[in-house]
Amino acid sequence: MTPTLGVVELTEAGQGYLRRVAAQLADLPDEDRVELLEDLTLHLAALEQEDDDRSLEDRLGDPAEYAADLRTAAGLPPAPRPSTRSSRALAVLGAAARPVRTFVPQLLPGWWVARGYLIVLLLSLLPVNSHRDFPVPAPGGSHALGAVLVLLAVVASVALGRRAQHRWHLAMAVAVDVAVVVAALATAAQVPDRLVRTDYVMVTPPSPFTDSSLITPHGPVTNVFAYTLDGTPLAQVLLFDQDGRPLRTGEQLWWKDHCRRVIEQPKALDGVAIDHVYPKAYVLDPARRGLSGTNVVDPATCTAKVAPSVVLPKVRPGS
Amino acid sequence: MDASQAMKGFLDVAVLAVVEAADNYGYEVVRLLREAGLAEVGDASVYGTLRRLYQAGALTSYAVASEEGPHRKYYAINERGRALLKEGTETWQSFADTIDRLLGLPRRAA
Repeated sequence: MTPTLGVVELTEAGQGYLRRVAAQLADLPDEDRVELLEDLTLHLAALEQEDDDRSLEDRLGDPAEYAADLRTAAGLPPAPRPSTRSSRALAVLGAAARPVRTFVPQLLPGWWVARGYLIVLLLSLLPVNSHRDFPVPAPGGSHALGAVLVLLAVVASVALGRRAQHRWHLAMAVAVDVAVVVAALATAAQVPDRLVRTDYVMVTPPSPFTDSSLITPHGPVTNVFAYTLDGTPLAQVLLFDQDGRPLRTGEQLWWKDHCRRVIEQPKALDGVAIDHVYPKAYVLDPARRGLSGTNVVDPATCTAKVAPSVVLPKVRPGS
Repeated sequence: MDASQAMKGFLDVAVLAVVEAADNYGYEVVRLLREAGLAEVGDASVYGTLRRLYQAGALTSYAVASEEGPHRKYYAINERGRALLKEGTETWQSFADTIDRLLGLPRRAA
């Protein structure tokens, strides 16, 4: 039997509290809800008669908690999750994400291992070098060192991952993850250069004609012979260009008799060889090597001419 | 241990006991329980308990006009309520004795 109570007047605060509790009980059967709210209405009215300055929240607790306590004590089911459109969407998303939430922790140990490897790989890729860093990084050119470092980094990374339950460890692990991912993405852009091309470094062999050669339409100049007008060959002449720079020619490496020759350069007082003295004095290699550098030749067969025979112009006397 | 947690299981008995002493309305039941020493008991818990006991047929209810303010909704115990109170009292007695023994306290007078 529900007694009739007549009209009860509440203050604005009381009405607000009542409304908020009512909102939490909206799902209950009418009978239960009406009775409970009626009790609360009377209770609020009675509380308002008291000489107490505290707010209703202070005296009765949060309306949602009040409603929850009411349900528990009355043996009624707890309030269902709020079912606004956005919360329904969240619930759907949550349900869809559940397999991911259970799957991700299973993947974590794999990531810890990969993270350790990536740290060493990325650091090895930092300096441009000619060593192949993939799949085994080669810091300082050593794959063995790379393998050891990878092992250590993987152990450290897994240890960090297993301890990440603590807040500080977790923060550190997340920071490391972000750094590794960013560095990996940045490096990925250069992967073709760094990972593939490092095997094919262009090497320019030292050439006698690279930077100091005089070139004529007939080929590189390997010696210079100077004569006076009367046909006297000049020995040990220093040659300079128009700016006073020493004039240097290439070195002749090929000889018709396949005997290697070396240049005997005069030395300055300080013992430094002077390399722009002409004509260059090509003499047979004292080690009697051939052109290949490994075979030994018989000096008797080394007959190629060192100086060319030249025809000098006839000069009119006195001009 | 939180006294309010320990109290929860025996709030039915406490409420029935208060109402058995005299018909009463919710606000006053809360006040009497607090006065008796159950300072931690929540208003909502008392009203929820009253509602459940009423639904279980252990209490009846009637409205009384009040000169000081709003009408009051009184609860009164009935036979079923008294039976529940008796049963609850015995359960409490047995429980309290058990705990007393465990704590090595002297047996209380029955």
